Order: sequence, then C-alpha cells, then structure tokens
Amino acid sequence: MIRFDGAGKRHPDGTIAVEELDLTVPAGRTTVLVGPSGCGKTTLLRMVNRMVEPTSGRVLLDGTDVAQLEPAKLRRGIGYVIQQAGLFPHRRVLDNIATVPYLLGWDRKRARSRAMELLELVGLAPETAKRYPFQLSGGQQQRVGVARALAADPPLLLMDEPFSAVDPVVRAGLQEELLRLQAELNKTVLFVTHDIEEAVRLGDQIVVLREYGRIGQVADPATLLSAPADEQVAQFLGRDRGLRGLGLRPAAGIALLPAGQPHRGWTLTVDQDGRPTGWSGPGETVRQVTVYQPGLDTLRTALDSAVLSPARAAVAVDEDGRVLGLAAREAVLDALDAAGPQAVAAVAAAGDEIAGGGGRGR
Amino acid sequence: MNWFSWLSTFFSAPDRQHGPDSIVHRVGEHLLLSGEALGLAVLLAVPLGLLLGYTGRAAGLVTALTGAARALPTLGLVTLAVLVAGVGDSAVLVPLVALAAPVLLVAACEGVRSTDPDLRDAARGIGLTHPQVLRQVCVPWALPALLAGLRTAAVQVIATATVAAYVGLGGLGRYVVDGLATRDFPQTFGGALLVVLLAVATQLLFALLNRFALPAGLRRSRG
Repeated sequence: MIRFDGAGKRHPDGTIAVEELDLTVPAGRTTVLVGPSGCGKTTLLRMVNRMVEPTSGRVLLDGTDVAQLEPAKLRRGIGYVIQQAGLFPHRRVLDNIATVPYLLGWDRKRARSRAMELLELVGLAPETAKRYPFQLSGGQQQRVGVARALAADPPLLLMDEPFSAVDPVVRAGLQEELLRLQAELNKTVLFVTHDIEEAVRLGDQIVVLREYGRIGQVADPATLLSAPADEQVAQFLGRDRGLRGLGLRPAAGIALLPAGQPHRGWTLTVDQDGRPTGWSGPGETVRQVTVYQPGLDTLRTALDSAVLSPARAAVAVDEDGRVLGLAAREAVLDALDAAGPQAVAAVAAAGDEIAGGGGRGR
Repeated sequence: MNWFSWLSTFFSAPDRQHGPDSIVHRVGEHLLLSGEALGLAVLLAVPLGLLLGYTGRAAGLVTALTGAARALPTLGLVTLAVLVAGVGDSAVLVPLVALAAPVLLVAACEGVRSTDPDLRDAARGIGLTHPQVLRQVCVPWALPALLAGLRTAAVQVIATATVAAYVGLGGLGRYVVDGLATRDFPQTFGGALLVVLLAVATQLLFALLNRFALPAGLRRSRG
C-alpha cells in the first residue's frame, strides 16, 4: 500500500508541481493517475521511488517513509516502466530483463532462467532473448520493459505512460496483456496516463488530477463515468461517457427470448450446430449477425448487437458461438436500469439516435 | 623519378636491415614512445572526461580548455620540456600527452554526456547506483565516441612522435632529422614515408576495432 501524506513538490525556482496531496493506493490493485499534461501525475509517481523528493509531506510505502530508505535499494524492490522502455542498447533482451536480478546479486544462471520465464509471461517468443533492443518493434520493447520490471518479482509496479508511444492497435494489445498479467499476479500497480480511455480500461481505482496535483475525483471506473464529481471532471471524461460506462457493466442480466420465434417479422437463421447465419425477414435476408456472450461481454456489446440487428434484438451466444436466445432492445434497455439513472438517460438518447432512424442503412 | 631510387637507396642500405638504425628497431622505438604517450594520456584524460561528462559539470570549460590545448605548438613544448626537465623521455612524452589528452578528454566527456536521458533515467529508476549507471550504461554508450577519439589521438601522436629525434631520442624521426642534417635526402624521404605508413596502418586498425570490437547493439543503433 502506498500513502501520500500531504506530499508536495515545489521546484527550486518556486513553481509548484504538486501542491499537497493525500491519497491512498490500495495493495494488490491497479490505481491510475490520470490528468492533463502538467497536472503533476508523473511527479507523484516518481515520489514513490524517490526519483523525485517531495518538498513537503511524506510518501509511505507499507507504513515506512520512503525518505528513510536507501534510494537504489528501494528502487530494486519496485518495478519501473517508462514510456520509452529505456532498455540498455548494448545488452541482449535476456540480459536486459535480468538487470535487477543481477543488481540483487543473483547468479547468472538463475537470473537468466528467471528472465526466460518472464519473456514467456509477457508473450514474447523465446528466440527474442538473443535479440538487441534495436531489433524489436516499439510494442515488443515495451513488453521487455514490463518483463524487466517484473524480473525480481516486486510487489509494486510504477508505470509512467508505458503505452503512450505505440500505435493504438499495439496499445490495445499491451493493455489486454497487462490486465491478464494483473489478474494473475495481483501486484500493486500505480499507473500514470493522460488517456482517460486507458484509465477506465486498466484502473480498479482512478484518480483524476487537475493542475498542481489537486484531486478532482477518486472513484472506480463505473462510478467515475456515471457520476463525475463536477463539471470539470465530466468535461475531462469527454462525450459519450454514459455509453462508455456500459462497457464496464456485465451483460449477464438481460432477459432472453427463445431464438426460434420471429421477432418484429425477422427470424434468426442458424446452421446445424446452432450458430447464427443471418436474419431472414419479409422479402430480404441479412447475412451479418453481431452477437454477444452474456457471461463475458458487457452491456455495451449487447446494445451494439441490438442496434445492429434488423430485428432490434441482440443475439446471445455461448462460448462456442451457439445461439442462447434473443434479447429485445427493450430488454437491453431494461438491464441498463441497474447501471444507474445517468447511464440510462445517456444510452437511451444515444441508442435512439443510432437505432431509431430505421435500422441499418443498407 | 628519383623518388624510386631514393627509396631503394634507403631501404637497401645495410643499416636498415640490422642494428640500432634498422627499420624494425626504429619502428619499435616509435611505437613504444607513441604507446607510452597514448597510454599516459588515456589514464589522465579518460577517467576525468567520463566523470565530467557524467556530472555534466564544467562541460563548457572542457571544450574551451581543449581548444586552447590544441593550439599549443608541439615543437615549442618539446623545447620547453627539454629546458625544464633536460633531455630524456619526458621531454617528448609531455608534449605528446598534451597533444593526445585533450582529444580523449572531449571524446570521453561528450560521449558520456550524449547518453539518452531516458535511458539514464530508467537505469536510475530500476535501482542502479550512480557508479553503476556510469559503468554499465554511460561508458558502453560512449564507446564509439571514445574509440573515435582514441583513433584521432593515436594517429596524431604517431605522426608527431617524429619530433623525439630533435632531442636526441629514437623513433622514425631519426631518419628524417639525421637525413636533413647530413643532406641524405633518401633517408629523410624514407623516414617520412614510414611515418605516413604507420599512421595509415593505425587508422585501419581502429577501423577494424570499430567494426568488430563494439557490441552489436551500439554499432547498429548509433550508426
């Protein structure tokens, strides 16, 4: 657990980076500091491993003031990932990952076998071990950066905009990977980003910061999106936050109709395995079917499925893609009631806008 | 066309084959003297340059000082050193070191200073101490620059070590100075040619070092 206790940073020239901040970062979960550039989020992150010394207040790591710990020793116990990966160009990937174990005095063999484990854990091929950083793509370099941070199995990870420099597709992959890793490892993660989408995706707890490290709101992603503390936070969250909030709600609770019977004049056709093949309607057929998995997907996916269907019904399937039933648009909207009034209003409006105008404009 | 006859006169003389005035012996003297000067300069300038480059202090001073040092006339320094210390190895070593050290100092200082700041930051952030960052990150980063500095210094020292003969020491300068003194132009010409060949050979040796002795990650990524 990290606790910022009135922590502030004033530069020697008198400018303020962080005014004075109280914040608790719970153990075993991901806390995301998000805010516009210059809000002091990186400064706060760097206070934890003493890359920045607070000029007022304290930062406590499991109850100990980090100022009392020797910096190099402290840092070896904390995973650190930065935007540019910061890999050693003259060392092969394997030795880059093993850097902290080497510093901790592990013997070469143990450090390298640990590094091989991590290579696999972050989803890189074993032959990557012998490459030099310049031979890797940006996304691969970031994976190596994450592996290096995890090498000595630290309980705490500091991640400073680690995925900001890669393209959106690769970024999504890296985010997915981090979620998977975190589900497995349960580290205490403090993650800094300026991208609210990323914050919502990765955070268990999101801290919205304003200038000078003033806290706008601390909340879990769903609460943040459905109930922003004030206008300024709402503005930072951007448009469609209600709709985006649906992406955080499970689609399991939607009432299903049997798939066999026609809905609004359209019948779902299936193959012999029960997988959907299309919609058959009065005088026309639609070959594309957008589906959702109740146990896995979110209300957003279910709504999407309903909006895209000519029958205005979402198609629920199991993990093998076999049809479980249909969810009428009204049933999907009913399920939103559980998602809070603000979300319902936003979604109802957006849904009507998209779907109300006569379905798929084919 | 009497260059060729000069050369054949020079190279076929019995003195060139055996004894203290033989080519092998003179080249040996020349290399030993140059090596000593270069070694001393490395010991003096490289650690200091690495340190100054790492701390980022006095970088402007380094550049200014080395600029001034490069303007020092070598022959004048030799004369001064002889006046102060008398005839001897040090009379030649001082100016040769003074020639090589500034080049090496700048190479080491700038090489380290050019380390990617993100890389240094990451190295600190994962728990390297300052000496470890210098040794494990900045020095490897500075290697190409250091090697380039060493090459320049070596070629300059080898070319300039010829002045040792002016104060009675050996080396290839012997041929040049003795040849001039006795109006034995084949000998002067042959000696000068040998100095040039030695300097070019040094240049080639460093080109090979640059190609094969640098870690792959540094060679490729830094051009």
